[in-house]
Amino acid sequence: MLTAILTLCFNMVPFTMAAQDETIVFTPQWTAQAQFAGYYVAEAKGFYREAGVKVHIEHPTPTQPAMARLQHNQCQATTLQLCQALEIVDGGIPLVNILQTSMNNAMVIVSARNEDPLKQKGARVGIWSVGFGQLAICMSIMDHLNYEFVRFAQNVNLFVAGALDATLAMSYNEYYQLVQAGITVTDKNVYRFCDHGYNVQEDGVYMTRSYYEKHRNQAIRFAQASKRGWEYAAKHPDEALDIVMKYVDREKIGTNRVMQQLMLQEVLRLQVDRESKKREFRLRPDMVKRASHLMVQNRMLDREVTYQELIAK
Amino acid sequence: MNEIIAYIRRKLSIRVSLWVVMFAAVIFVAALGFLFYQSREAVRQEAIHRATTILDRTSLQVEGILNRVEVATNMTVWLVQRHPNVADSMFVYSEGTLRNNPDFYSCSIAFEPYYFKEYGRYFSAYSKYEGDSIRTLQGGSDNYQYFFMDWYLMPTLLGHPCWTDPYMDLDAPTNTYEMVTTYCQAIKNKQGAVIGVINTSLSINWLSQTISAVKPYPNSYSIMIGRGGTYFVHPDSTKITRHTIFTQTMLEPDTALTALGHAMQRGEEGMRRMVIDGKDSYVFYKPLGKTGCSMAIVCPESDIFGGFNRLRHTVMGIVFVGLLVMLCVFINVITRELKPLHRLAREAETIASGNFDAELPDFERTDEIGQLSHSFGYMQQSLVRYIDELKLTTAQKASIESELNVASNIQMSMLPSVFPNREGLDMHASMTPAKEVGGDLYGYLLKGDNLYFCVGDVSGKGVPASLFMAQVTRLFRTLANQQMAPADICTHMNEALSGDENPTNMFVTMFVGMVNLQSGHLKFCNAGHNPPVIGGGEHHGEFLQMLPNFPIGVLPGLEFQGEEIDTIKGRALFLYTDGLNEAENRDHKQFGDDQLLSILRNTHFESAQQVVEILYNEVQRHRDGADPNDDLTMMCLRMQ
Repeated sequence: MLTAILTLCFNMVPFTMAAQDETIVFTPQWTAQAQFAGYYVAEAKGFYREAGVKVHIEHPTPTQPAMARLQHNQCQATTLQLCQALEIVDGGIPLVNILQTSMNNAMVIVSARNEDPLKQKGARVGIWSVGFGQLAICMSIMDHLNYEFVRFAQNVNLFVAGALDATLAMSYNEYYQLVQAGITVTDKNVYRFCDHGYNVQEDGVYMTRSYYEKHRNQAIRFAQASKRGWEYAAKHPDEALDIVMKYVDREKIGTNRVMQQLMLQEVLRLQVDRESKKREFRLRPDMVKRASHLMVQNRMLDREVTYQELIAK
Repeated sequence: MNEIIAYIRRKLSIRVSLWVVMFAAVIFVAALGFLFYQSREAVRQEAIHRATTILDRTSLQVEGILNRVEVATNMTVWLVQRHPNVADSMFVYSEGTLRNNPDFYSCSIAFEPYYFKEYGRYFSAYSKYEGDSIRTLQGGSDNYQYFFMDWYLMPTLLGHPCWTDPYMDLDAPTNTYEMVTTYCQAIKNKQGAVIGVINTSLSINWLSQTISAVKPYPNSYSIMIGRGGTYFVHPDSTKITRHTIFTQTMLEPDTALTALGHAMQRGEEGMRRMVIDGKDSYVFYKPLGKTGCSMAIVCPESDIFGGFNRLRHTVMGIVFVGLLVMLCVFINVITRELKPLHRLAREAETIASGNFDAELPDFERTDEIGQLSHSFGYMQQSLVRYIDELKLTTAQKASIESELNVASNIQMSMLPSVFPNREGLDMHASMTPAKEVGGDLYGYLLKGDNLYFCVGDVSGKGVPASLFMAQVTRLFRTLANQQMAPADICTHMNEALSGDENPTNMFVTMFVGMVNLQSGHLKFCNAGHNPPVIGGGEHHGEFLQMLPNFPIGVLPGLEFQGEEIDTIKGRALFLYTDGLNEAENRDHKQFGDDQLLSILRNTHFESAQQVVEILYNEVQRHRDGADPNDDLTMMCLRMQ
């Protein structure tokens, strides 16, 4: 708890910096890990500096999501999943997607050994307390599984301890945490949303539309330098991993190089579009439409949020 | 290599020594193998006992403290449930829990959102030791939403109190981390609904230090993992809370390590032998109370069996050197013991080279070699005697052979080698004895126009037969000279050779003939002899049909019957002994009458000598190198 209090105090600092130096405080939506390798690489290799943009990377606390920081102007850019972005726009805060990194959905449901998630009606399923998991809620309703979602803060302990029947996991993070905790994963006890008609893009970099309108040039340069960071990471994964581990150590994150290596591989894989087989770095209108429809249909959005509302004009 | 093998084959001492040493080596290996196995097992059991004792002691220590935490938490829950609506009391309860248990780390009594509406969404009475004093405050905020934390959710979801996995708690004022584990118990109202959770934390730094210090062997170490396999104690501090026991298996699968991790997660107790960090190791593991943690002691096999292996290598070295020394000593001793045999071998070679008088060494030994030496001396004396006897016998034999040669010459001289040279008469004969001297005979005597001739075969062979033959030959010539008829000659000869005159009961078969050279008229008498062949060549040859008579010398007083043929002119008369038709080859097959008759019938008669030689050659061919089984005599007579 003391950690949280201190982190909160620390997080107030960038607000002042951003206001004075026009520095973009960028908050990834999770703690330091290879999921954000491209941004670390861009910062470490000086791509932001070369692009003429000042960027400061600040991570959220486990219980204070990135969006809260954006709303409170504690940061100017953040990564969000597409479904989260739709929710926020639907809630009245216009956002701009300045860079889309994910081209595929990474969410999975992992059940206990030999259990099929699709046959566990009414099961207790772990879900992140900070959001994500909108597709899982849609899927539970549409497939009449009526999962009882249990919100947890951060890790997979509840599932490992047997307190949950299944848990949501990202294929690049919690999935490997489960494997690392000795959970046996097979085709039977793992449900991949991307293979069941729920392949909706995830991570993208978002700004509030108001900020974007005022700092368009700065935002574009930030996005291009970030994209360059990701491309560099894809070409030099070992070097990128070294950089990630520096951030991990700096943030005192309880992870290890093996986990980060696997995460980086998976994140880079998810960035390749299934159809074009390319790293496209663009939001796909069809996926925006699919996500929006699903969420409207399941009453998670009051209205359909369109692709045009998300992109820079 | 082949040279070494050849050398070993030549050297009895090395061969015997090698056999003995090899046998000894087998015995040693078997005995030491058994000893080593038993010793190793004893060392292993000792290691198991040692590790198990440490694990049991640590586990007991942990359980003792855990029980106190559980009891204290139960008491607090009881108090809270008595006054669930008095928020301020919660601060007293949490502080009181710590005050009564100074070794606890913290205590928190947290409630469901908006349970105490006056406090808003969050209410958690949190107490923690800071030095010797206790700080109590209200926890929970938007930044710390405790009801999403594991310690809050676990007892609610599981439906029973539980221990969370250990975690590193940051102490902000000192910026130090404390490893703590938390006992959580749900608080329920009278209706059974969960209204909050009590969490009592215990620092396990002492436990990790205790476990880290467990080092039963120089290179052994201890680990502790949580429910999720996370290392909380590990010699590599960078792995603590960052790695799990399964981490390294994610890139390089290790089924043994994975199985160990699962066993420890299941709270099993046991021992496994496996390779860890490239070393064969024994891992002893046991759960730590109800914390969900498991402790393991990893002992490299080289440590456990270090002393044993050193002893084993020393003993093996001593045995190896001992066997080598044994081999050398054996070779030396056996070579020395076999030295007399070498000398005997040399002396034997000297004797074998003809020096029978060579003096044998006197070893003055009573063992097998001494006996061999004595036997060898005795053999030498016997050999000398035998050689002397052999020389004498050889000389005697040479003398007899010489006499036999003389006898053979005499016998052959009794048989005519020249035959009458009369117009219209062609005659030839030969006798080949089976031994030096034979019992066959032939002869002729020309008396005016009458030619007496005979062919005979004395019973038996060798010298007795030759002497009898000489007597028969003399009698034939004497009686023929008196111009007797062949039958009379046979009668008189029988009288002279039978009865008391013939104590050895020898006899002779004989064909005696007298042919008139003018008319070709033939008188003859057959005394038990093979029938001659008459004719042959362009004439149809056949055995002469004759009266049967006894052989001469069998019974005294016999009157032999003679026979006549008007003329034999133009027809050859072939006489022979049974050495011809009964000549045997290597397979004891006889020449036979049929073959004789066939040859004679198919031979173009050019001369009597030619006929005799052809048949002689045929007999030789038939024998095919076999020794002659009887004397061979042939006579051919032809009148034009």
